[in-house]
Amino acid sequence: MAKVLEGPGMGLMKKWGLTVPNYVVVTSVDELAKLGQANEWLKKSKLVVKAHEALGSRFKLGLVKVDLDLKGAEAATKEMIGRHVGSITVAQVIVSEMIPHKEEYYCAVKSTRTGTDILVANCGGIEVESNWERVNRLALEVGQQPSADALERLAKDAGFTGSLLKKMTDFAGKMFTCFDSEDAHYLEVNPVVLREQDSELIALDAVTLLDGDAKFRHPDWNFAFAAEFGRAYSKHEMEIMAVDSKIKGSVKFIEIPGGDTAMLPAGGGASIYYSDAVVARGGKLANYAEYSGDPPDWAVEVLTDKVCSLPGIKNIIVGGAIANFTDVKKTFGGIINGFRKAKSEGKLKGVKIWVRRGGPREKEGLDAMRALKDEGFDINVFDRNTPLTDIVDKALQNT
Amino acid sequence: MSILANKDTYVVIQGGVAGVNAARRMAEFCYLIKRSLNVMAFVYPPDAGKTNEIPYGSGLLAIPIYKTVAEATKHHPQINTSLVYIGADRAMRGGMEALDDPHIKLVSMITEGVPEKDAKILGRHATKLGKVFNGPSSIGIVSAGSCRLGVIGGAFDNLVLSKLYREGSFGVITKSGGLSNEIIWICSQFADGITTAIGIGGDAYPGTDYVSYLEMFENDPQTKAVVIVGEMGGDLEERAAEWYGAKTRRVKLIAVVSGFCQESLPKGMKFGHAGAKEGLKGEGSARFKSDALKKAGSIVPATFGALGPAIKEIYQELLKSGLVKEPVELAVLPKLPKSIEEAIKADEVMVPPLIRTTISDDRGDEPCYDGYPASELINKGYEIPHVVGLLWDKRLISKQEAEIVKRIMMLSADHGPCVSGAMGTIIAACAGIGLSQSVAAGLIMIGPRFGGAVTDAGRYFKHAVDNKMSVDEFLTYMKKNVGPVPGIGHRVKSLRNPDKRVKELVGYVKSLNIKTPCLDFALEVEQITSVKKDNLILNVDGTMAAVLVDIGFPVDSLNGFFILSRTIGLIGHWVDQKRQDSRLIRLFDYLVNYAAPKRREVPPLK
Repeated sequence: MAKVLEGPGMGLMKKWGLTVPNYVVVTSVDELAKLGQANEWLKKSKLVVKAHEALGSRFKLGLVKVDLDLKGAEAATKEMIGRHVGSITVAQVIVSEMIPHKEEYYCAVKSTRTGTDILVANCGGIEVESNWERVNRLALEVGQQPSADALERLAKDAGFTGSLLKKMTDFAGKMFTCFDSEDAHYLEVNPVVLREQDSELIALDAVTLLDGDAKFRHPDWNFAFAAEFGRAYSKHEMEIMAVDSKIKGSVKFIEIPGGDTAMLPAGGGASIYYSDAVVARGGKLANYAEYSGDPPDWAVEVLTDKVCSLPGIKNIIVGGAIANFTDVKKTFGGIINGFRKAKSEGKLKGVKIWVRRGGPREKEGLDAMRALKDEGFDINVFDRNTPLTDIVDKALQNT
Repeated sequence: MSILANKDTYVVIQGGVAGVNAARRMAEFCYLIKRSLNVMAFVYPPDAGKTNEIPYGSGLLAIPIYKTVAEATKHHPQINTSLVYIGADRAMRGGMEALDDPHIKLVSMITEGVPEKDAKILGRHATKLGKVFNGPSSIGIVSAGSCRLGVIGGAFDNLVLSKLYREGSFGVITKSGGLSNEIIWICSQFADGITTAIGIGGDAYPGTDYVSYLEMFENDPQTKAVVIVGEMGGDLEERAAEWYGAKTRRVKLIAVVSGFCQESLPKGMKFGHAGAKEGLKGEGSARFKSDALKKAGSIVPATFGALGPAIKEIYQELLKSGLVKEPVELAVLPKLPKSIEEAIKADEVMVPPLIRTTISDDRGDEPCYDGYPASELINKGYEIPHVVGLLWDKRLISKQEAEIVKRIMMLSADHGPCVSGAMGTIIAACAGIGLSQSVAAGLIMIGPRFGGAVTDAGRYFKHAVDNKMSVDEFLTYMKKNVGPVPGIGHRVKSLRNPDKRVKELVGYVKSLNIKTPCLDFALEVEQITSVKKDNLILNVDGTMAAVLVDIGFPVDSLNGFFILSRTIGLIGHWVDQKRQDSRLIRLFDYLVNYAAPKRREVPPLK
């Protein structure tokens, strides 16, 4: 699942015939000033300026400013660009026209196990969250397109009447087309508003989650996906993502500041059990990591390097289940090189390493790990006869 | 018994390299349980019409590759299962092709990163057709003692350790591929092993989920209990709980769910498989799932580590109740034949070497010449002549000797287009022949009459010097035993028209004040022979030969100096012709003396 920021999200909606407010995404005041000269609406409309970053609670942070003229928007842009919020530096703002309206509605489309749900409510904004029973749902089976009748009934059931009924039916239909054509997991417009001047439905705010796996058939997805955890990716995380995108198999790395137990386990499934075990034993995770699918040894070495660079770690958990086809000796070779490099750089002082693994060439791999003891590493190596997460118990008993 | 995969399962594999690797693993399993290979065919259009070689025991099986699934099932109508190893962008089409084939009842997709929409469409299509679509991102399916689909089960040793050669009593369903082996292993160590283990894949909406498989296990009398290994996200575990709690089930259910760490991670931080994407404390969280499963009557160990003991406890109960009996282990299991490399490593065989080398070795990170790493030679200032010395005579020659070798090479690198070697190369180049063959055409000319006299010249001058012959004795010896003296005589050069190359080389070597007995002898010979006939001078071959013998090169290597040097020229001639885009050439009739009989009538064939 891949989150898309408002700008590109609104771009996709516009592409499929939904009306969105005029907007521009800028990286500097100069850019906005130039655009102001070229675009009538920037001069004439009241404007909203928002930080265009994957941040929650932008209102509270003062990163949303409303009811501005162009001069005010420029001032707000100047104020926001370059601001640091946690690990994120605001690099872009989105400037859009304010849409005068009285009525707010809600429309969303989401992927379900059996197909797709289209959701419509005749209230919007924060009101919909407290009145969830007013949301009406049209459940579609996999591959099924909504009929005009079904869409109209959905809008009708949600309480739309008269000319608005037709407009909402049309809006929901276009939402579905956008969702279906763009391989979305989730599309939400809240609020949908009725523009006063022409009584047209406008998508005022969009949440867009796309299926990152479908990128291969969307050459026009020229935007970057946003991090989903309310902070920007760190330099080390981005380096591992770059490696991951290049290799057969995978390597994953996410930093968790403040932890002291570093994770270097194999497998998307086992890695979570290892993390669970650390938490269950009262440990504090310093990161999440995982390598799987028989990745090349150099990729595992880069991952090891990042894990060893985590500050303040006391233990490194090199766990893993019994692999199907990941070559234990080869991948451990990468880890061993990473450990040696880290040690030569003065890292790993006082850090205990815990190893448990099985799989193709397990004996050779485990023997090579054991041999690190002779090089002065504080390393404890276990084979398949030690249950998966017992090394976590042993590691955390010691500290 | 087992579910999904059994002795009657026959497979087509859709895809390239990954599919072939899976077939190899599957062949290991078939070999272990003594059944013939269950992979009947591959579908991989780029290689259609060829075969993939799959080792089985100590032999190799050739499995045909087809363009389409329909072709494969037409030729092998027993095929009822397809494994999809096609890239994510084409997986949907491949999966559909397999599902639409009337022979195929089960499609298991191994491909990772398949768009969710595609996976849902495939799952739906399979349901409509009454077939099973397993995956995507599935590690495979294995039924102990009868059938392996994919790499699930791991290496051969692991198959044996996990007792996959015979049936147990536990069914396994996992999202995680890596953990499937772990659970199979646990079932074999804490109980009697598995019936069938299925990897359903870690995606949010797998084609077939726990409930469908639980239903199948419930109907398989051999399976007494099922272990499911779940993850946070989605609602598959909740639905399994709902199924289990709905009525009294024959099978016991043991479940673990991962993702409790989520509760103490910074908000919004999620990781793991694609499906593990929802839930803090609410629906979809590890705790919610665990609680639902517990409530439904499933055994839910507190940690993954407690899974083994929990399985053991159930197994003990099953034994006590008489529902299962202790398995009888097979006395002798087939051993996978070792590859020759493995056997040598284990000191189990001695292979007499086919060849022996004493000059070089590139098994390390760089070539070593006579033991010296190439990079070290470079960094310490050694040059090409030293490499020649190491590889041809296994010694590190001196700087002075290297300089002589270098000069010899420079002097004999080329001799214009008219000589036999260059002509051979040029004619070939003009005929459009490639570099190596054209150069070889030129090199072929090197022999007794062209350039190939160096070795012989060296041999006889050395013979004379070693035997302290006088020039007269030598010439008599040569006349009697050999014929013309190699290294003496030139077609165009003579006393009056001396060979500058010879002068140059002799002058340089003489200036060094080193001992040159062979060269001295050769020059004495020239003095006598050139008096007899003007062009019986010491030629460049003879000079080179004498000098090289004097600086210690073995006689047998001497022609090599000419071959090596002249190769430089031959390559130059080929490149030269190529650069000019020269056209095919042939001899003109006027350059040929047609001495063959005149045209005449062919007599009738008798």
